[in-house]
Amino acid sequence: MSKPVLQIENLNKTYMLGKRLVNALTNLNLTVNKGEFIAIMGPSGSGKTTLLNVIGCIDKPTEGTVTIDDVNVTKTPENKLYKVRRDKMGFIFQSFNLLPYLNARENVELPMEGKIKSREERKKRASELLNLVGLSGRENHRPQRLSQGEQQRVAIARALANDPAIILADEPTGNLDTKNKQEIIKLLANLNLNQGTTIIMVTHDTNAALHTERMLLLKDGKIVKEKEGLHLAKKNSKCPHCGAPIKITDDNCQACKKPLFQTDELFAS
Amino acid sequence: MGIISRALRNLSRRKVRALLVIVALSISLSIMVSIPAGLMANQESTSAMANNLGNTITQTSQSINETLSQIDVSMSSNFAGFGFSQAATPTPNTSGRNGGSTSDVTGPQNFGGFGGAGGGQFGGASGTASPMNQSLYSDIADISGVAAVEEILTASQGSSNQTTTFMGRTFTTLITDYTIQGIPLISELVDGYTVLPTNITAGRNLQAGESGGVLLSQNNSKFFDVGVGDEVKIVNETFTVVGIYSPSSTENIQSLYMNLSDAQRITNNTGYITSLKVFTTSSELVDTVASSISSLHSELTVTTQQDRLNQLQQQQSLYEEALASAQSSLAATEATAIQEIIVVVAATSLIVLFVMLYTVRERTKEIGTLKAIGFSNKVVMGQFLIEGLLLSTIAGVVGIAIAAFAAPTLSSLLLPTVGTQMGFVNVGNATSSTVTLSTTLMLEAMGVAVLLGVVGTLYPAWRAAKIRPAEAMKYE
Repeated sequence: MSKPVLQIENLNKTYMLGKRLVNALTNLNLTVNKGEFIAIMGPSGSGKTTLLNVIGCIDKPTEGTVTIDDVNVTKTPENKLYKVRRDKMGFIFQSFNLLPYLNARENVELPMEGKIKSREERKKRASELLNLVGLSGRENHRPQRLSQGEQQRVAIARALANDPAIILADEPTGNLDTKNKQEIIKLLANLNLNQGTTIIMVTHDTNAALHTERMLLLKDGKIVKEKEGLHLAKKNSKCPHCGAPIKITDDNCQACKKPLFQTDELFAS
Repeated sequence: MGIISRALRNLSRRKVRALLVIVALSISLSIMVSIPAGLMANQESTSAMANNLGNTITQTSQSINETLSQIDVSMSSNFAGFGFSQAATPTPNTSGRNGGSTSDVTGPQNFGGFGGAGGGQFGGASGTASPMNQSLYSDIADISGVAAVEEILTASQGSSNQTTTFMGRTFTTLITDYTIQGIPLISELVDGYTVLPTNITAGRNLQAGESGGVLLSQNNSKFFDVGVGDEVKIVNETFTVVGIYSPSSTENIQSLYMNLSDAQRITNNTGYITSLKVFTTSSELVDTVASSISSLHSELTVTTQQDRLNQLQQQQSLYEEALASAQSSLAATEATAIQEIIVVVAATSLIVLFVMLYTVRERTKEIGTLKAIGFSNKVVMGQFLIEGLLLSTIAGVVGIAIAAFAAPTLSSLLLPTVGTQMGFVNVGNATSSTVTLSTTLMLEAMGVAVLLGVVGTLYPAWRAAKIRPAEAMKYE
């Protein structure tokens, strides 16, 4: 039995939008175990990103507790929170958020700056991480010379920099074309499978969500539904159409040639 | 990837902006450097001027004190003409000096006679001095209240004529090459009174009992092209140059000094003098002694130094006014300099402030990202402070380089020139002092540049540190 890496209890988050009080999150409870791959889904304004920001300690809850690796971060003072973000969290953004004036390796090195003293060690680790996300040889390229898929890989490598407890991905495939979407989601699934990295991903993309183990549907600041994902990488799943075994790299079933992810009706019922 | 190289990359990312800021900052910094430099130069020249004025005032005071007890005596102009024509009658030895000075203007020695020579000594009272028989006036020394009598022979020497045409007639004037001042070199006078020039620039002064030596003015030295120790031919005798003096304001720049007996011999005037200077025992006795001389010798013009005194005192008050006006002018310049520096410092800080505020605003999303991936507020603030510092340091170096070349121009544009309203008082000019940048000033300017960088960046950097990452992420 894996131990929980994240525990959220009675989480409430309200904020003022002009003169209107908005309940972004209402009495939310969630436990995430180490090594889980979770998708948070839901319509716009359902509180997905707010939840992610609260978990990532870049937003404060109005009420409730968030415990990460047995530490209640809601009690951590503001000026100490950066350490939680640096050491426990890895952020992946929809628009990559790389620093344009730094090359790929330097971007990956950024979070290590406060943590790893030796410059050589930082360089070495950044190179290894870029290698892991399939960007060896592109270390010295600045973001504008990389494709969008490549930029997101750099961002993933950056998120892994300090070996975080949780990777928080906010619409990581939102800005990518179909081919890159598939590659990034497979990369995340593989990291989860092979490195045991806990990943919480906010997404609109049901196709991407199916690669996770657990899918949560958020509506009006509450988790309204929970479903099991396929996690193709982990489960050695079979084609839902013909029963033939499928691989993570497959988009269509090798046997019946039918697309594997026709899941628009996922949360329909 | 250190924080400084990141700052440098950020600056080079917006090259035009960085360049504009550096240009603006460096110009204000160069102004900031030039103003104190110019002020210092002004202070220097004013203090030099004050020194000069102070010296002049002291000298004038000394002149006033010295002249107070002096009386100039010369042949009255009424007697000037027949003083010569009658020369044969009263003086037994004039036959020996046949025609010595009457009509020898074109004579072989080209000796200009006594004409016009009296003016040299303390701006003497009469323009034309006529020869006086030395022996006739020995009784002056016996008048009570007389401390000493200096017998002087003044003779101008010229070698060329200048012709001028006036209203159809041609006049010939002799150009004076030098003026011989014969002074009795007796220790009573030489050691007790100021009878010789005091400002010796080379060699030594004439000494009591000396003969065959001559003291030249700087002008004489140039005219004869001789220096100390050289021999020089005066009229028809060879003298040794013992020293060279720089004439004071009361001395004739063409005067050379020698023993009275030497002067009398070479000018064929043995037994004759052109003027007397009478020193009284006290300045209160001057008027009494003067009237005693007049009553003894009605043919003499007796001049006390009252006029000269008045003139000197007037000059004195002019000098004092000039000094006061220079000082108040400097005070005004200092006030202007302070105002200008305040404006420039404010402008510089504002430039840094606005540019850095804009930079922070523009990079809100980047700041949000940095915080989300674990940058502390301190590091974010430090990042912007270092950028502001780099910007102002570069601008500081450029500004000092500009100032090194343009400081004189800039300071003359920005600061009123310190001067005196007494334009005719030739005692120093503020513009003559050069504006130079001392190392200390450059280092101070660098310090100010860095300080302004910090001051201007502090608030924007603080704003950056306070940005909430969750909100910054939404910012595009």
